[in-house]
Amino acid sequence: MAKKNFNNALKKAFSKDALTIYLVVAIYAVISIMLYGDLASRQLTNMLISVSCYIVLAVSLNLVVGLLGELSLGHAGFMSVGLFSGCLFSMWTVDLIPMLYIRLPLAMIFGGLFAAIVGFVVGLPALRLKGDYLAIVTLACGEIIKNIITNLEITGGALGLTTTNSGSYIYSKPKVLLPYAIVLVLITVVVMMNIKKSRHGRAIMAIRDNRIAAEATGVNVTYYKLIVFVLAAFFAGAAGVLYGHSFANIKPAVFNYNMSIEILVIVVLGGMGSINGSIIAAIALKALPEMLRGLDKYRMLIYSIVLIVVMLLNSNQKFIEFKSKFSFKSLLKMKKKSKKEEISNEQ
Amino acid sequence: MKKLTSLVLALLMIVACFAFASCGENEEKNANELVIGGIGPLTGAYANYGNSVKNGAEIAVAEINARGGINGFTIKLDFQDSVGNPESAVAAYGKLMDDGMMVSLGCVLSGENASVVAAAKEDGILLLTPSASADNAIVDNDAAFRVCFSDSSQGIAAADYIGANNLPKKIAIFYQADIDYSNGLREAFLSKVADNGIEIVAEESFTTDTASDFSTQITAIQTSGAEMIFMPIYADEASTFLTQAQGKFDESMLYFGCDGLDGILGKVADPALCENVLLLTPFAADEPKELVQNFVAAYKEKTGGATPDQFAADGYDAVYAIKAAMEKADITPESQADFNKRIVEAMTQITVEGVTGNMSWEASGETVKLPLVMIIKSGVAQLYTAE
Amino acid sequence: MSLFFQTLISGLNLGSIYALIALGYTMVYGIAKMLNFAHGDVIMIGAYSVIVTVSSLGLPPVIAILIGIAFCALLGVSIEFLAYKPLRKASSLAVLITAIGVSYFLQNIAQLIFGTQQLAFPKIINLDAIKIGSVQIDGITLVTLCVTAVIMVLLTLFINFTKIGKAMRAVSEDKEAAELMGISTNRTISVTFAIGSALAMIASLFYGATYTYIKPTTGSMPGIKAFTAAVFGGIGSIPGAMLGGIMLGIIEQYSKAYISTTMSDAIVFGVLILVLLVKPTGLLGKKISEKV
Repeated sequence: MAKKNFNNALKKAFSKDALTIYLVVAIYAVISIMLYGDLASRQLTNMLISVSCYIVLAVSLNLVVGLLGELSLGHAGFMSVGLFSGCLFSMWTVDLIPMLYIRLPLAMIFGGLFAAIVGFVVGLPALRLKGDYLAIVTLACGEIIKNIITNLEITGGALGLTTTNSGSYIYSKPKVLLPYAIVLVLITVVVMMNIKKSRHGRAIMAIRDNRIAAEATGVNVTYYKLIVFVLAAFFAGAAGVLYGHSFANIKPAVFNYNMSIEILVIVVLGGMGSINGSIIAAIALKALPEMLRGLDKYRMLIYSIVLIVVMLLNSNQKFIEFKSKFSFKSLLKMKKKSKKEEISNEQ
Repeated sequence: MKKLTSLVLALLMIVACFAFASCGENEEKNANELVIGGIGPLTGAYANYGNSVKNGAEIAVAEINARGGINGFTIKLDFQDSVGNPESAVAAYGKLMDDGMMVSLGCVLSGENASVVAAAKEDGILLLTPSASADNAIVDNDAAFRVCFSDSSQGIAAADYIGANNLPKKIAIFYQADIDYSNGLREAFLSKVADNGIEIVAEESFTTDTASDFSTQITAIQTSGAEMIFMPIYADEASTFLTQAQGKFDESMLYFGCDGLDGILGKVADPALCENVLLLTPFAADEPKELVQNFVAAYKEKTGGATPDQFAADGYDAVYAIKAAMEKADITPESQADFNKRIVEAMTQITVEGVTGNMSWEASGETVKLPLVMIIKSGVAQLYTAE
Repeated sequence: MSLFFQTLISGLNLGSIYALIALGYTMVYGIAKMLNFAHGDVIMIGAYSVIVTVSSLGLPPVIAILIGIAFCALLGVSIEFLAYKPLRKASSLAVLITAIGVSYFLQNIAQLIFGTQQLAFPKIINLDAIKIGSVQIDGITLVTLCVTAVIMVLLTLFINFTKIGKAMRAVSEDKEAAELMGISTNRTISVTFAIGSALAMIASLFYGATYTYIKPTTGSMPGIKAFTAAVFGGIGSIPGAMLGGIMLGIIEQYSKAYISTTMSDAIVFGVLILVLLVKPTGLLGKKISEKV
């Protein structure tokens, strides 16, 4: 009996989900040591918060694209709704609650809720539309959000929101914000993982695989489609609030369809439905243009070529075979086990 | 497939970590080298502005190095791409600091400059932005200065000039609604409208996404009875507007623009399109001053015939302002102690004769210089004299 | 009243350009079932090709246009061959991301070659404006409307009555069955890309002539709008793309003229959402019944 418990514990400790958490913790542990030990380069330091935000954005978009199987091109719109509402909340309450460790989480919840409401509204068409028609509607919603915020006076309009004005100073340095980023990433990952594993996650994936069959077996399609959009928007909004606190000036025009597409690229590159894939892809895709800075004016050209080549290689049968011979798991002789895992994942 | 992707990405990530950790440490630093860093959009939708600044600054650097540098320093300009995004600009600032940047040209655009100015606060490094004109672009950092005018000072100056001189008072405003430069000028202009007896008969706008088709705006201004159009926009959009408006307005129609319109004569397909364009600007590429003409010639040679705009002129002057401050503070390769403090202090004590006029700086970081008002007649810009 | 008709004319002009671009989107989607996000950038390349041939080489406009059409068709086919063909069996999202990569690539290559400053588009169509009452119609607008109408008729005839056109419809209907009938899918897809890119080139001609200046990022916004137009009309449907493009152009110009120039995009997209909510597969899209 004791042995069985032990085995179960061992299984749990080495399950795929646990490994994802270990991965996140390990990455952030290394980064924290580097950052607080003054070992990190300035370039790395200045990227930490925005990359963390992209991780949250990608993991939350993965819920819509990977699990529900609907293409969303408006994720940046949710982020900007959360960013502007949350940062305004933070600016208004900065005198009332000077403690960042209370104000920032409150602002994130406030911004997240605001984004969730917008997510609910955007999710409504998803009940009737699908595929590319839904994709264009989410893109349209993102552009409408951008247009509206640009015309709002309260958010500074086209001048953008300035977070360093005296009286409403909410700007913070990466060293201050990193713990909040770590907590936000961990919460997002854990929530998404649990949704994926749970009854609800299976219901969502059933909708993706065959909506009519899912409906016939009693899955409430309306409810799940909406909840997916609302949840994804909530986390995107919360990430936006954190993002907004790390820059002195934020303009609504930044959050256009190009940014939504950028997040989508992370999700697709990391693998549909794969949480650790999204995490790694977010880091890699954000680091790549920074690493290419030495290439001067050829930087973005090389970036686009790398993107195309990675996509082509990923679908090349020979390359997949070649690579699988050298994958980590085959090196560790865990092939049998991994196959088993794959089968259980596919179910 | 999933496994493979994550493997490739994991490898990339590991490489990335090493690249970040190692850079900046084994870089050999040359004691006689003054590293000036610049950040701006070199690719993407705003790439024309970033490249103009970069070209202007590079010309100044080449000139100074050819004449023996500054106090024994040779200048090395490291200009990084930001794609117009604060996120990338702040990362670029970090990269420049890692590579030993000593003086910064800040950022080209206001939004990214504000974020870099905040991120650089504790470094104390001199940030002299050529072109970030939004009022809030240099706040909250005592080491931040700018070469261009602030948006509000320009908008007010424009309204006051129109009020004080015999110019039409029935004015239509044509502005770009989603950029800070245009909005900042418009708001400041509107705040002074009543004082100067100006009547706004129409307000038409566009956004970056709709900057190709101005037909409806032109029709609206046609019917509004405006006698002059105030255009606080940049030369690219203005040249599109003037080309599309060709033959649509009365010949007596005047167009009033600010420093954003600099270089418009070189951008339009036909100089006749710019007839009756008034410019309130510290820089005009047609100014006969030797300094200006040398700069214009060098710029044309470098870019294959392009006329420098406000961004290029500001970039050029920024480098010369740094040179003046270095000389004032008497910083030499041997005496570099308190580098940042000495050069920032010197900024408020210098006067620089640049292509954008005679400049000095206030402690707030704002520049003090006189704008000229030029009018374009028969394809040539000349000083405007009120009748 | 003159504002009303003036806006109608400029709306038709803009709509014609959208329609020409949307045709490329919708044809490719109908046959290859992929969203070719790089299509907008083909327009930009087409416009630059005219600048090179007319302004720099001094070729007569007719020859320049023919060269441009051939060049763009070749470009479309080579993009398909190099970037999309290897992904025939991959998921549609993988193809979408590759198309985005191609779009970045084209923009950056154009920037490296032509620089970042906007270039003036040469005046290749010189026609005097005509006046009907108080409404002024530019020469270029007339040409745009006529040429677009002719192209639409020709394209409809081509799709319905030629052998290749029939093959295209067959592939779009059922790829496997078409192959069994001896139709080469690869060739048909190549032809589709060639036609779509050639249409994009013609659109770029009118775009450049009407809006006068070209930048490396010029193609992205008309591209997105045309994509919207294609979905609006029902993606995959050729008359749908025409109708969607023209409707979108007219709505955009009227909202600019009568409501707000800053909010015009929001209004256009808002109308799009409303229409899709009422007709979930676009105006002329096929209603696909779901099988269990």
